[in-house]
Amino acid sequence: MAASYARELIATRELLLNLTMREVKGQYRRTALGQLWSIINPLATMLVYTLVFAFIFRAEPPPGDPSGLDLYPLWLMCGLLPWMYVTRVITGGVASITNNAGLITKVYFPRMHLPLSVALSTGITFGVELGVLTIALWIFGGFPLPWLPLVVQAMGVLAMFATGIAMLLAILNVHFRDTQHFVSILLPMWMFLTPIIYPISLVEDAAARAGEWILQVYQLNPMLHIVEVFRALLYDNRLPGAVESLAAIGSASVVFAVGYLVFSRHERRLAELL
Amino acid sequence: MSGVADDTAVVVDQVSKKFRLFHERNQTLKSAVMRRRRIVADDFWAVRNVSFEVPQGETFGLIGRNGSSKSTLLKTLARIYVPDEGRVVMNGRVSSMLEVGSGFHPELSGRENIFLNGSILGLTRKQVTARFDEIVDFSGVETFIDQPVKNYSSGMYVRLGVAVAVHTDPDILIVDEILSVGDGAFIEKSRKKFLEFTGQGRTIILVSHSLPQVREMCHQVAWLDGGRLRAVGPTDEVVAAYGASIEAESS
Ligand SMILES: Nc1ncnc2c1ncn2[C@@H]1O[C@H](COP(=O)(O)OP(=O)(O)OP(=O)(O)O)[C@@H](O)[C@H]1O
Ligand SMILES: [Mg+2]
Repeated sequence: MAASYARELIATRELLLNLTMREVKGQYRRTALGQLWSIINPLATMLVYTLVFAFIFRAEPPPGDPSGLDLYPLWLMCGLLPWMYVTRVITGGVASITNNAGLITKVYFPRMHLPLSVALSTGITFGVELGVLTIALWIFGGFPLPWLPLVVQAMGVLAMFATGIAMLLAILNVHFRDTQHFVSILLPMWMFLTPIIYPISLVEDAAARAGEWILQVYQLNPMLHIVEVFRALLYDNRLPGAVESLAAIGSASVVFAVGYLVFSRHERRLAELL
Repeated sequence: MSGVADDTAVVVDQVSKKFRLFHERNQTLKSAVMRRRRIVADDFWAVRNVSFEVPQGETFGLIGRNGSSKSTLLKTLARIYVPDEGRVVMNGRVSSMLEVGSGFHPELSGRENIFLNGSILGLTRKQVTARFDEIVDFSGVETFIDQPVKNYSSGMYVRLGVAVAVHTDPDILIVDEILSVGDGAFIEKSRKKFLEFTGQGRTIILVSHSLPQVREMCHQVAWLDGGRLRAVGPTDEVVAAYGASIEAESS
């Protein structure tokens, strides 16, 4: 059943592209700055976090090794951009079924294209942001270019992870509309439990004082490993460690498989629940 | 498909469809927890044991009062709902026009929406490009084709939607009451298109509350009453019986 659904998805791939274009084009219609907003947003967030965490809290991430980079805003963005991608795909994906009720109750098409199109259209924004970041890293003395092919693969892993969660929650949201509200509360918490705005060394210090189990529990978070992979490639300019890479790929595959199975099993009855 | 004659386009075999009706707001966690303690959902059988066959190349009408489950049955045929009992066999590519313009994005132009809607209905970009002029011509909204569709009148919206749907080349076309919104000229245009369709061996299943329209267009008609099949057969007989029952009720 899962395989025949995959065949149907592939047969209708053009619809996926069109839904993606609908998201991309519709998003910034009638805004003066248009697509620039997708750059302005992360820049503004970068300024705020840099102000608060580099100047007030004095977070001091280790310099890039071997890149030699030592700039908090750049270090921050190497983790924050992947995180923002996950947040956008999950929030957009969770609501993708309920927001398209008009479409789902009127035409048949494989419903998975809706969360998938959110992941793809957000991926375009993510790609542009990473492009700008790469140029900045280069200007400030890093050498990210040779690592870009691996970065693209890491983006794929991240996309699987985020889409898997989005598909799972999208189904849950059809049954319990509370889901999307829970998600908007839980996502910021999750962010603070991931070393995105502060270096993991702070948690290691805390664990050394209060007990090793803190670090062990902390490292169960798959996003930690995915962020580490992005930082290794972009900020440090080195191959990510085997543990991080395997944890990232493994968790993304499991999450995607579960999301896919749950979604394809429930999609036939979505129309009557909306 | 075994047991189905080659010239049968649609087989509806003892189809039933139920909805769960919840007595309170059901889609919250609170009520999910409550559900453990007492039953808050009833099964409502919207379609009950309906069977009929539609020969290829014919126009088949569904009539019945408001709430008699015509739309629910159409949605089951269009794969939007899954039947809880029985089975539906559709021989050929199905295209449905249950609500025209569903899938239109208000901020996108008519042109962009034609491509989007075409692909929702199963066309490739190439196919839409090949038929683009025909679609625009049929819709009659040429001068507004590059305007966002939210600036369209509701009639124009409908025309553009119908234009896309009739150019998707379906073997079976499912139509729910959409002709009631267009003006006379457009209804006439659509009627001609439907005749052309059946002439080409395509099949049309339509719902309409306009009995003259049903008389004029349909070969056979099914009369639904409270989700059950009250009568099915040649148009004149069934429409006459239905008309008589309405008359009897209103006098
Ligand atoms: N998603 C749903 N959940 C619960 N009940 C539904 C749902 N959809 C339809 N119904 C019920 O099914 C019955 C049939 O509705 P339907 O829309 O099929 O009627 P109809 O024959 O198309 O009516 P009309 O002539 O007004 O268009 C109605 O009682 C309606 O309340
Ligand atoms: Mg109806």
